[in-house]
Amino acid sequence: MAQSGTSIRNQIRTLRFRHGEMTQQQLADQIGVTRQTVNAIEGGKYSPSLEVAFRIAHVFGQPLEDVFQFVAASG
Amino acid sequence: MDTSFEEKSVWIQLASLVVGLGGYLVVAGLMLSNGVSALPAFVPVFAVAIVLVVGINVAGHVVAAIASRSDEADERDRLIGCRAESRSSWILGVGVVGAIMALTLSVGGIWVAHLLLISLFGSEMAKDVLQIVYYRRGI
Repeated sequence: MAQSGTSIRNQIRTLRFRHGEMTQQQLADQIGVTRQTVNAIEGGKYSPSLEVAFRIAHVFGQPLEDVFQFVAASG
Repeated sequence: MDTSFEEKSVWIQLASLVVGLGGYLVVAGLMLSNGVSALPAFVPVFAVAIVLVVGINVAGHVVAAIASRSDEADERDRLIGCRAESRSSWILGVGVVGAIMALTLSVGGIWVAHLLLISLFGSEMAKDVLQIVYYRRGI
């Protein structure tokens, strides 16, 4: 998944589709942010707070590290 | 363009500033260059500018609320607002220090008032532009 801007990658798009093709709006409503913020998180343009990250993982019933992965800078 | 209500709000504020205060500064600049330096002469122009800023803001927000879902600001909106403000407030600070220095040099009150107004305008413009950049490019 091509993501730029942050060193945090995520599997939100994949997980949404595995959960009955959940829309960004549906996920946003469940975690208390706007759809645009979900879109920014998915696209790697915004790293969410720890609380929102846990909420996303909770919605998908996954451990946090299965939803978000830290990519260490090389060199 | 995929924009949240908060981002639309920033665009509306920016437009109101450019039209209202920007317009005022253009007119005031022409008046000053023509030798008008009495403060009362600027009051009606400034009043029109304030009415324009408020009117554009109210009308713009009403249209934005009708046209799209008016979600409350979330953590990303708040972070973008705080970061943009922290990186633009120095402009107002420079203006205030400049105004104090101008007063100590006995510069006319009309010039000091406009220096303060320009720094406020610049600071708010920079804040709005930075917010839009953060919304578009990410934060």
